Amino acid sequence: MNRLYDSMEPRVIDDGMLKLAVGEQGPQEEAGELAKQEGILFKDVLSLQLDFRNILRIDNLWQFENLRKLQLDNNIIEKIEGLENLTHLVWLDLSFNNIETIEGLDTLVNLEDLSLFNNRISSIDSLDALVKLQVLSLGNNQIDNMMNIIYLRRFSCLRTLSLSGNPISEAEDYKMFICAYLPDLVYLDFRRIDDHTKEVAEAKHHYSIEELKHRENLMQARLEEEQARREELEKHKTAFVEHLNGSFLFDSMYAEDSEGNKLSSLPGVSEFLEAYRDKFVIICVNIFEYGLKQQEKRKTELDTFNECVHEAIQENQEQGKRKIAKFEEKHLMSLSAIREELEMPNIEKMILECSTDISELFDALMTLEMQLVEQLEETINMFERNIVDLVGLFVENVQSLMAQCRDLENHHHEKVLEISISTLEKAIKGDLDEDLSEDVRALFVDKDTTVNAVGASHDIHLLKIDNREDELVTRINSWCTRLVDKIHRDEIMRNRKRVKEINLYIDHMKSELDNLEYSDILD
Amino acid sequence: MEVLREKVEEEEAAEQEEAAERAERARTEKMMRPVEVRKEETTLTQETLRDLEKKLSEIRIPVSAELPAFTKDIIDISMLPVSYKTNMPKEEQLLQLADNFSRQYSHLCPDRVPLFLHPLNECEVPKFVSTTLRPTLMPYPELYNWDSCAQFVSDFLTMVPLPDPLKPPSHLYSSTTVLKYQKGNCFDFSTLLCSMLIGSGYDAYCVNGYGSQDLCHMDLTREVCPLTVKPKETIKREEKVLPKKYTIRPPRDLCSRFEQEQEMKRQQEIRAQEEKRLKEEEERRMEAEKANPDALHGLRVHSWVLVLSGKREVPENFFIDPFTARSYSTQDEHFLGIESLWNHRNYWINMQDCWNCCKDLIFDLGDPVRWEYMLLGTDKPVLSLTEDYSGINDEDDVENLDKEDEDKSFDMPHSWVEQIEISPEAFKTRCPNGKKVIPYKRAKLEKWAPYLNRNGLVSRLTTYEDLECTNILEIKEWYQSREDMLELKHINKTTGLKTDYFKPGHPHALRVHSYKSMQPEMDRVIEFYETARVDGLIKREETPGTMTEYYQGRSDFLSYRHADFGPRVKKLTLSSTESNPRPIVKITERFLRNPAKPAEEDVAERVFLVAEERIQLRYHCREDHITASKREFLRRSEVDSKGNKIIMTPDMCITFEVEPMEHTKKLLYQYETLMHLKKEEKLSRHQVWESELEVLEILKLREEEEEVHTLTISIYDTKRNEKSKEYREAMERVMHEEHLRQVETQLDYLAPFLVQLPPGEKLTRWQAVRLKDECLSDFKQRLINKANLIQARFEKETQELQKKQQWYQENQVTLTPEDEDQYLSYCSQAMFRIRILEQRLNRHKELAPLKYLALEEKLHKDPRLGELLKMFT
Repeated sequence: MNRLYDSMEPRVIDDGMLKLAVGEQGPQEEAGELAKQEGILFKDVLSLQLDFRNILRIDNLWQFENLRKLQLDNNIIEKIEGLENLTHLVWLDLSFNNIETIEGLDTLVNLEDLSLFNNRISSIDSLDALVKLQVLSLGNNQIDNMMNIIYLRRFSCLRTLSLSGNPISEAEDYKMFICAYLPDLVYLDFRRIDDHTKEVAEAKHHYSIEELKHRENLMQARLEEEQARREELEKHKTAFVEHLNGSFLFDSMYAEDSEGNKLSSLPGVSEFLEAYRDKFVIICVNIFEYGLKQQEKRKTELDTFNECVHEAIQENQEQGKRKIAKFEEKHLMSLSAIREELEMPNIEKMILECSTDISELFDALMTLEMQLVEQLEETINMFERNIVDLVGLFVENVQSLMAQCRDLENHHHEKVLEISISTLEKAIKGDLDEDLSEDVRALFVDKDTTVNAVGASHDIHLLKIDNREDELVTRINSWCTRLVDKIHRDEIMRNRKRVKEINLYIDHMKSELDNLEYSDILD
Repeated sequence: MEVLREKVEEEEAAEQEEAAERAERARTEKMMRPVEVRKEETTLTQETLRDLEKKLSEIRIPVSAELPAFTKDIIDISMLPVSYKTNMPKEEQLLQLADNFSRQYSHLCPDRVPLFLHPLNECEVPKFVSTTLRPTLMPYPELYNWDSCAQFVSDFLTMVPLPDPLKPPSHLYSSTTVLKYQKGNCFDFSTLLCSMLIGSGYDAYCVNGYGSQDLCHMDLTREVCPLTVKPKETIKREEKVLPKKYTIRPPRDLCSRFEQEQEMKRQQEIRAQEEKRLKEEEERRMEAEKANPDALHGLRVHSWVLVLSGKREVPENFFIDPFTARSYSTQDEHFLGIESLWNHRNYWINMQDCWNCCKDLIFDLGDPVRWEYMLLGTDKPVLSLTEDYSGINDEDDVENLDKEDEDKSFDMPHSWVEQIEISPEAFKTRCPNGKKVIPYKRAKLEKWAPYLNRNGLVSRLTTYEDLECTNILEIKEWYQSREDMLELKHINKTTGLKTDYFKPGHPHALRVHSYKSMQPEMDRVIEFYETARVDGLIKREETPGTMTEYYQGRSDFLSYRHADFGPRVKKLTLSSTESNPRPIVKITERFLRNPAKPAEEDVAERVFLVAEERIQLRYHCREDHITASKREFLRRSEVDSKGNKIIMTPDMCITFEVEPMEHTKKLLYQYETLMHLKKEEKLSRHQVWESELEVLEILKLREEEEEVHTLTISIYDTKRNEKSKEYREAMERVMHEEHLRQVETQLDYLAPFLVQLPPGEKLTRWQAVRLKDECLSDFKQRLINKANLIQARFEKETQELQKKQQWYQENQVTLTPEDEDQYLSYCSQAMFRIRILEQRLNRHKELAPLKYLALEEKLHKDPRLGELLKMFT
């Protein structure tokens, strides 16, 4: 492959080589001179050619952030590496090298054209990130498994593929197989696939492709389902009531409660438990629905607020733009008047006028901005009050619902305690039911054990409820604070930016005037 | 003498009095006039007589001198069908009925004018008015609606005033005659229109009544032309947006409210004064325009059409004036009273008082108190009391009709008028001779039939400044089917501005072209159909020193280009204007926002100051910014003090960036931008130059089109489309020839021989054989004759040629060159003839046996001989 350069020393890409290449391939003639004067930054380079340089190792390319096209063909590269930073790369040529596996391309999401011609690759993989891939050249490699083709089905943009010179291309069915499994392909091995071939191929592999498609569809459907579920959960989370639309909380209460589980096997308890569970779930669902409703309310509140603020800012900007436009019109006229004026005192007077105009504009713009700041502050404060109220109300209601849960738990606890005591009495008397398991019997040895067990179960339940409540309250409160903070911060940032912009503009205007003055005096 | 004179005067006065009395009587004969009936004075003093005289002399009865009266003399009645000339028994019966009705009516209402019941038709036969209506549905879809119908009638007929403006006419002609001569009075007009409207399903009636002078004389000079009325702009009501919850509060208003109020008051006062002034002016003008009062107001007989609501989705009753085709509400003050009305079924007399014009009339024809009907139970027999009832009535219309048919005493006979027919040509031509002029108030409308004018002009509206129509304000001309798609030409006489409007399809995609002169480089605005143009140009405005172009929908987002030209540099060499374009001083281009680019790299405006070698760029403003980046390139010195070429220096580019960026500071970037801009500048200049050329081209083309003004003819227009006509004729000719040939092939060979035999007898076999032999021998003889003839000619030619040759041989020496030429040409011609004859002879020799055999074959197959011959062979 690169025997010509075998005699040369293997090299690593270094700064010197890069500078040389950039200089050679950069702008020429007049522009080149300018470029030489100033030097070219690597990050401004869009295309780089590093072929026939006996490169063994790719390195030092991290500065070329904006590189679109990179040619590294006809070297002795053995491993694809050091390309992680070149995320804008569209065109990558690594043909005529000694690469054995495809790797290190996971960040090149914009890649459209990849050439790995004449390497030592034996299987096609690790290309998942290259969603925009259109042209893939893998000729003269050692790919020998037809199943590699199926891997290429995921690239919906792939139109051109070359695989000639691989062991698989020897296969009798090679072309048909590819045409059948990659129906969107237009060019195979530098030839256009005609419609007839496509039809024949499809007919030939009809069944296996159908099967494959079915499997893919199933997979797709599952993925989508998963996605939908995740989105749903996410939505509930933003309402802070996730896992409350069912018996999750209740189940979690009993999940770590071994005593409770044991106690539930007591006669009579299970009925209670069932009723308790139903009631509990109803309350949970209430909380859930209430939470969603409140979330909706908060959202509309926030949307209205954002909209109004946006409108206000837009309006203000429009005013500012109008002012500037008016000023510029006048300013241009006076500038040209100054240029044409000959009398020195007149010029000075006019320049003075101009500078007053500029400061007037500055004042006007700043007044506008200050006015907006005041207005927005008022609005933001109002919004803050409202949202805090909303959140407070929500928390209050949730707490009262949670209290109902707790009441239910207490009630249940009492019932269980009662039954336990009676069971204990029975146990003491010795006429305990035969069908109770050993570890349940173990609870009813004396009163303390029994009461402790029931109490422990109760405590765990209460703890769970408390935890859930706390979680909800803390999260919503922190959300609220964060939101308000963000709004304030954004407003401050906006204000600073605007003030900076105005100052910059005014400074520019002033310096322009000064320059004029200066040049006039010189003249 | 004194006494005598007095006596004479008295006599004269008496005569006057008599005349006046007559007039007064004529007037008082008519009852229920909107004008107060003047009480006849019993005692007449000299003064009153003089007054009267003066008044009478003021009354001018318009004599239609210029319009030849539409009299019986010019109507050819010989071709008319019988129904026109005689009355059927049923019609006679109807006439008797009508007479009876009339007598009863005059007995009951002695103070009303006699009814207009059965005027004479063109054959001097009395015909009942309802039978003169002939409901007809026209085959033209354009004539299905009342407005187009009325417009057609008003266009198609020429108006002839009534012979006596105070009386209904004595004759009422059939619509067919009226259509034939394209002339008629108001009764003819309304009869025709009513027939057409009833035919297309309207509930229409002819009305005999009284109209204003303008109405009776088809005088629109006090009406504003409907074409000049600008459509009223609908004022969009701004929806008040409810302030949202978080809408920011407006900044505090620090103005004094008191001052504002005072100011407002002052403004209002001024406005009120202004309004008052305007109003007064308006009033004054109205006063001036108002016509001098008509002495015969309320007495002028007119006929028009009433359309009642209910059928064809007519929401309410209205009048149509057939002269002008305008619709009026029944309350309109032009209509002063109604005597009677009729349709094809019945006749109704108005029993309501018309003191307040027609404003109080109720058109419920079922009400016998208000409307006295003539025939019982034909149409609308009962008073429609409630809406529901009439609704039911409508639904059961068919049934009711059936019932009515059974029990009504007498039904209207069928119309005596022939089917109304309008030929397509007449329909297309519309107006008599295809031309019509309608004067309006301060305007004149002229109409022509399509293709009548060679330049496609179909109508012209001239608007005048004054009522006398002397100072032209503006002229609008509408064109049709022009090859250059010109639709409307608008000439404003005061400003001299001409505006041409085009339909889509002009080769340069022109839409509007307004100009003052056709000279290039003058004020002009050209608008285009931008979708038809590749460059998306919408509008190009030109003034002597500038050219502005507006674009839309371009891929480079260019929306505006403005070029300033300097004065033309005088060249020493003589050259035409094309080769010496004006120097461009400045080009301004504006671009719309390109969403694919970030705002600070997307140029919003670029100005090429060509003369100063400066380029100014202004970028788009980012959404959250109020200032936009700017960049200015200067290209002053290309060579520095040492004579080295300066490529780029920092002071050649003045930059203001809203958010300073690093890469734009580089000289390389600036240099590249500058190079790019230079290229663009060249392109823009080229574009401007091309635009100028295009304007020249358009002007040239327009001038050519104006001169040629060819009209397009639809391929479906068989009459006008010459090409298709030719083609059709050619086809017909071919068909004809084909037919002839067929006839020829069927030529009977046996005919001359069969004639010799006694006719009607069956041929015997012997006869058949003889016939065949005769026929064949005859044919053979003819072939031989033909061959001989050709042979003879051939020999003759050859001999002549030989003779000539001999002559030539002998006189060769003495011949002039001309003679020799003559001889040579003769020879060649003769040789040609001989050759042709030889060819013919040969061909004949070849074909003759074949022809002979063919004939034999044919005779064998001939049905007359075949059987017999077969037996023979």
